[in-house]
Amino acid sequence: MTTSPFRRLFNRPMTTVERFLVAIIVVYGTIVTLRAPQFLSLATLSDLLRGGSGIAILAIGVTIVLISGGIDVSFTAIAIVAGYSSVQLGRALEYDGLLLLTVGAIVIGALLGSINALLIHFFKLQTLIVTLATASVFHGTMALTLGMRTYTRADVPGSLIGFGEANVFTIQGEARPYGFTMFLPVVAGVVILTWFLLYRTRIGRSVFALGSNPESASRLGVNLLATQLFIYMYVGALSGLMGIIYFSRLAYINPAALVGSELAVIAIAVIGGAKLEGGEGTLLGTLLGVVIWQLFQNTLIFLGLGSQYNGLFFGSVLIFLLCVIYRRQRQINKRSLVFTT
Amino acid sequence: MGEFLSQLRDDRERLTLLVTTLIVTFVLYQMLGQRVFSVGGMQSMSIQVSEFGFLALAMGLAMLTAGIDLSVVAAAGLSGVMSATVLSGRVIPITDENQGMLLVLGIAAALITGLLTGLVNGLIIAKVSVPPILATLGTMVFFTGIGMALTSGNSVPNQVAAFPLIANTAIGPFPVPFVMLATAFVVVALILSRTRFGRQVYLFGENQVALRFTGARTERVIILTYVLIGFLVGCAAIIMVARANSMRVGFGESYLLQAILVVVLSGFNPYGGKGRVSNLAMGLVLLQLLSTSMNAFAFSPYARNLVWGLILLFVMIVNHLSGNFRKRPRRDAAGSEPDEAGRATDTPSLQPT
Repeated sequence: MTTSPFRRLFNRPMTTVERFLVAIIVVYGTIVTLRAPQFLSLATLSDLLRGGSGIAILAIGVTIVLISGGIDVSFTAIAIVAGYSSVQLGRALEYDGLLLLTVGAIVIGALLGSINALLIHFFKLQTLIVTLATASVFHGTMALTLGMRTYTRADVPGSLIGFGEANVFTIQGEARPYGFTMFLPVVAGVVILTWFLLYRTRIGRSVFALGSNPESASRLGVNLLATQLFIYMYVGALSGLMGIIYFSRLAYINPAALVGSELAVIAIAVIGGAKLEGGEGTLLGTLLGVVIWQLFQNTLIFLGLGSQYNGLFFGSVLIFLLCVIYRRQRQINKRSLVFTT
Repeated sequence: MGEFLSQLRDDRERLTLLVTTLIVTFVLYQMLGQRVFSVGGMQSMSIQVSEFGFLALAMGLAMLTAGIDLSVVAAAGLSGVMSATVLSGRVIPITDENQGMLLVLGIAAALITGLLTGLVNGLIIAKVSVPPILATLGTMVFFTGIGMALTSGNSVPNQVAAFPLIANTAIGPFPVPFVMLATAFVVVALILSRTRFGRQVYLFGENQVALRFTGARTERVIILTYVLIGFLVGCAAIIMVARANSMRVGFGESYLLQAILVVVLSGFNPYGGKGRVSNLAMGLVLLQLLSTSMNAFAFSPYARNLVWGLILLFVMIVNHLSGNFRKRPRRDAAGSEPDEAGRATDTPSLQPT
């Protein structure tokens, strides 16, 4: 029996959603290439990767929350609060080192995440509404204590600017060299770490268990508090990391940015096949979702359409895929006489 | 009056809301006095509350069916853009004679777009069984996307002189938008309490499987609910365009958090089946009073959001502690059986307690 290369690589069959996503990317890529051959270039790839890195990290965090059956809308606020506080702390101490600034942001992010987890666990509140509230509280508290000053390039810590401009490797193009951003190994590290935690550790398996049925999970001996703490602290930590990457990429620190784009990131994770009933979702799907988002965001211009068409295209694909996923579930339910609407 | 008092005794949320509103009103009156509590101040507050009130009512309806509608603001934005496009004379050039017709067309465009957005949501939720939160997340991106594609994010100006009058005229002491909102509240309250459809909305939120077994057409209930939401959203859009005299995509984005806040604050259960329109009206009054006073004290938007967030958390925790939002007592959890999706069903246990 022959096994497909995909199965050999991932040790599982490709999910329907992943198949659709790959098909959409291929079809879209072909159309754009036919219309504008310059699309297939190192320049496009380099831009897409640089822009997509931060979103990929956030989307991976969101995927974990969705797998656990929750929804988190506070991660953009956490990213900004953690990144901004860390940078402010660094400025106050006149410290300018990438490592500690990043660690600071990650720790602050994880702490804020733990607040979410404790509220959700102890008061049994709906995750969406809790995180909606905490997002405003986190961001508002930061605005009142640290202020909302923006920092232009001259005032951004040099280590961040260096991080944003660094490349892992550069490829000599015809006109100019194309750099591949230093964020790539960070994203790769996050993907590998998340994969390992989700699929190879006890706590990761309990995230899936919690997502598919909290009641049975707790009877199986899953510690729900520990699992919730892990989920929201991990998402918080990833958000903190993203905050630093975001400021580094733009070399501009704006504490009002990013907040408000959380639903778009959730949409990316959802498009990747993470189901709200929890227990399902793949990292590959989420990464493909990021690719689609980045493609629509940056390359519609090759088709002569401005970036204002991004939402229309992305929204259509999202609704289409949602219908595909849930129609199947509905048919299964009907066959097995499960009466839900 | 006697009936009202006996209802108060049974409905703890109503009592809490009423007391809080009275205290807040009294404190604010002492602090701000004539600045807020003059006829002019009250009128401007009642106009402000109107466009938001429609969105909150729409959100409340979604929550009664154990759903949520994240697309309300996006749908209102799209309806408003459609209406403003008609009113800007880009579709039919404006002449002196056709202003009246354009005014009607502008209103119709907002309402029809609103109804369509609701229909889309309803069909996706009822016929494909996509969970409301994801379906409306998708349509939120989609509706905003259509609006962006049509306008490139630019503001669409209204050119029909009579249209802003919708927001600026008053019937007696009451501004027209407020009259519209009050009518909508009364009508929705009557629909919910007096019609078969209304009872089915509550039942659906309480236990959709049981409702299905009564022979009710649950899919139709959901579609109708979201179409009604769409109509309310269309009304909100009309007021938005009339008030701002123009429309752009993304207008009123902060209303989403506030709409969820006021609905939860008014005692609606996010898990469905519980909530009173009359309490929502009171919640709106309270929220508007707070909002106006934060204006008067010149709070920054961030400080305002901080206050909203804290109130939301506070209310949810208090509600939890007083046992309102528990889906069922913990002891009963053992009685439920997991359904296909692996989640415990909402079926209450049949054992007498």
